[in-house]
Amino acid sequence: MSLFNTDKDFNVISNLIPSGSNIIDIGCGDGSLLDYLDKNKNINGRGLEIDQDKIRECLAKGISVMQGDADIDLVDYPDKSFDYSILTYTLQATKKPKEVLEELVRISDKAIVSFPNFGYWKIRLNLLLNGTMPVSNNLSYSWYETPNLHFCTITDFIELCGATNIKIEKKCNLKKYSIQEYTKKSKFDNFFLESGMFLISKK
Amino acid sequence: MSENVIVELASSKNPLVLDCGKTIGPIKTAYTTYGKLNDSKSNAILICHALTGDQYVASEHPITKKNGWWSLLIGPGKSIDTDKYFIICPNVIGGCMGSTGPNEENPQTGKEYGLDFPVVTIADMVKAQKLLIDKLGIKKLFSVIGGSMGGMLVLQWLSKYPACVFSAIPIATTSSHSAQNIALNELARQAIMADPEWKSGNYNEQNTKPIKGLSVARMAAHISYLSEQSLHEKFGRNLQNKNKIEFSFDADFQVESYLRHQGFKFVDRFDANSYLYITRAMDYFDLKIENNGSLIEAFKDTEAHTLCVSFTSDWLYPTSENKVITKTFNALGLNVSFVEIDTDNGHDSFLLNEPEFFDTIQGFLDATYKKL
Repeated sequence: MSLFNTDKDFNVISNLIPSGSNIIDIGCGDGSLLDYLDKNKNINGRGLEIDQDKIRECLAKGISVMQGDADIDLVDYPDKSFDYSILTYTLQATKKPKEVLEELVRISDKAIVSFPNFGYWKIRLNLLLNGTMPVSNNLSYSWYETPNLHFCTITDFIELCGATNIKIEKKCNLKKYSIQEYTKKSKFDNFFLESGMFLISKK
Repeated sequence: MSENVIVELASSKNPLVLDCGKTIGPIKTAYTTYGKLNDSKSNAILICHALTGDQYVASEHPITKKNGWWSLLIGPGKSIDTDKYFIICPNVIGGCMGSTGPNEENPQTGKEYGLDFPVVTIADMVKAQKLLIDKLGIKKLFSVIGGSMGGMLVLQWLSKYPACVFSAIPIATTSSHSAQNIALNELARQAIMADPEWKSGNYNEQNTKPIKGLSVARMAAHISYLSEQSLHEKFGRNLQNKNKIEFSFDADFQVESYLRHQGFKFVDRFDANSYLYITRAMDYFDLKIENNGSLIEAFKDTEAHTLCVSFTSDWLYPTSENKVITKTFNALGLNVSFVEIDTDNGHDSFLLNEPEFFDTIQGFLDATYKKL
């Protein structure tokens, strides 16, 4: 989605990934991120995408892509098929986010997950003052037509990981484009970050 | 564009050893080519035809005078661009358009093979194709492409000659013929053999032709190539040149008339015994059984870039069958892509004007060619 399509965001992901890694980008869109990582980190990339037009764009870029759905098709990959799986701005559109996260850390050593943060102060303020569902850069749909099913806050995400077999290794600040080791839950992040992005693995 | 060429492959001394244990040699293979083979012989694409297809993939058919069966897809400047790639399309052995098959002369007896022709398999057809590729001096095919039975041939190439295939596009196919597939083929074979004019396969010798049996076989098969939706949209319950039903067994409905027409025009270009042999080859196709019960084993040595394609309304080789293949490729960590084209045209979609399908193939081929 729009917020994410900048070289700087791609660069943060690129910095999380060692050169030559085997990668699957779930909900890879037109393959821009895989293309970027291929050029910058010489990765061996695969995509999973639901939209046929975007799949054709991937194919024309020489990217291997499977038409499929994160909720359904991840079961087809054996354990540890990849070094990294990437799920950018897709978690909130899945039917079963918990199962999808568990699949991610099963099919890959580590996973990079990003999502719009519903705890962001502007969203809180919007709901408080206007009493309407937020529409912004990375939440660009009206409530009645949104493909997003499961919004969460950074705190919600961290608590879900804690309640499952998922360990958070690193957190990314997409305002400062920085990466930090994850130590503990931060109310500050939950309030001031528009998006959450984490590197996770199996506990 | 080349004319139809017929080459002799194998020999009586060095025959083709078939899966059934018998040998044949020499064999003939009829094929056409389009475009130019480059100096490094790296731009060759093998096109594998389906059950009733033949080598006339992108040139006029000598009997029907119609354009080649994939002429929408293959040609100068088209999705499979003959200005760039060298296309080879052979008629399979067991076929009836010039390659060794039941209606060809048995060199040992000087008479037509008929039912003396050995039962061949998909693997046997691929062995014969490999002899042709060797003869053309090609070590590695840039791509092998085919739909339906053609897709089975593609999979067999990946399994049997992994080092000779750089990329592959199996379309609307399966890695093992299902009970439903076999049942439909058996219906077709029984229709042919129930025709008294079939004469136990010796109809040519006795100057007859099992026209009715073969056309019923084609009618049954044709239904399986379409979807309920496309039949409904094309014909509904519309009547054929009449205003009301006639309480008879004439073709009252348009769909009846259409199927009869499909059946009768088919017998002009296809041989009944060939139909028996090729459907049998498809029924025996099971890469899993062939590889000790493991599809992973079947493809363990291939490193090819693959694109698998299925069609939403295809119930003959449905998406689920094609996904068995992609799942295996994924498990092997291959560079596999998969697309399910959204269409109402049923199994036949791969032969029709489906622009999204064509674009998918072109994007994959041109991008993969850069990786050579």
